[in-house]
Amino acid sequence: MDHEETEMISRCQQGDQEALKDIFDKYHKKVYRIAYGVVRQREDALDIVQEVFIKLFRSIKNFQGRSHFYTYLYRMVMNTAIDHTRKSGKKFASSLDEEGSFEPSDGAEKGPERVFLQKELEERVKRAMDKLPAEQKVALIFRDMEGLSYQEMAEAMGCSIGTVMSRLHYGRKKMQELLKDYVMLHGQSRGGQNSPRL
Amino acid sequence: MQMKYSCSSISRLKEKYFDQEATDKEKLLVENHLQDCAACQDALKSMEELRALIKSPVEEALQKEDFPWVWQNIERKIRLQEKQPWWQSIRSWLDISPLFKRKVWIPAAATAAVLLFITTQIIFKNTSSYPDASVVEYVESETNNVMVYDLEKAKVTVIWLFEGSEEEALPS
Repeated sequence: MDHEETEMISRCQQGDQEALKDIFDKYHKKVYRIAYGVVRQREDALDIVQEVFIKLFRSIKNFQGRSHFYTYLYRMVMNTAIDHTRKSGKKFASSLDEEGSFEPSDGAEKGPERVFLQKELEERVKRAMDKLPAEQKVALIFRDMEGLSYQEMAEAMGCSIGTVMSRLHYGRKKMQELLKDYVMLHGQSRGGQNSPRL
Repeated sequence: MQMKYSCSSISRLKEKYFDQEATDKEKLLVENHLQDCAACQDALKSMEELRALIKSPVEEALQKEDFPWVWQNIERKIRLQEKQPWWQSIRSWLDISPLFKRKVWIPAAATAAVLLFITTQIIFKNTSSYPDASVVEYVESETNNVMVYDLEKAKVTVIWLFEGSEEEALPS
């Protein structure tokens, strides 16, 4: 933790809202990225960002500097986002059918069709992520989106490095299984060209 | 001759290698294996593609986002929480406390009221100036009020004479 950040945290612990604004300016995008990664909805992610910084202002007095500040913050985001999904009880909604009933294209790569197929793939990925247990989902977000090291992930998630590796392994394996059928259909229709290999 | 590791034995190391967490020795093992194993090369590429699929929609959303009014909302909510008068803090606590949901407190309050009524009836019914006494008669008149008690245990009758009301006793 650099000196500037230490000073910011110390002022915030004394109730200085300007210090909270400084922390917000530094971290709000990272917080949004994690929140969006979990909930995949803009409005929900923005709600979570607000909730996190309000909670931070209330609880920052408890931060004793034993861990990195960003892992403390990331843990708060993770818990808030997971609570948010549980409270809202939202199921992933999509206009696509559950069982991959998409019709293979005739192989011509038209612009709008390609955009549609890309959107479809993103929807599939969102749906697959929603099926993961919360801890595996968060592990993938922390590693594949935020690029945290195993040690940082262990601090943020409050578990051992072995557990982190296990969650990553099973999360990735499950994602590959969930996206396998889609990719096989897609690969067959387009002759395996430009299709993601999962 | 270098020992060749099987795909299954290299599986966990592959992930550590992919996540750039492998030691130098582990990196060497994986890279040696990858030279001859197309399946593991494909598996690594799949992990890379999966990572891109997870990351890119989020990065796109972040690029488009300008966080309108987010900080202002945070400031406002903190201000509201700080400025709450004490009675509103209690009210907020009551609102969120599960004990004070209507479905809980209304029946509880009604039960408490009934019990209180019954208890007071029992207490005051039996309470009199004399324990174990029952009022036989109470007579009011213009000048005096008379109360007659029968003490059952002692078989004694007590007659109280009360002077007229204070208002009547006041000098004009």
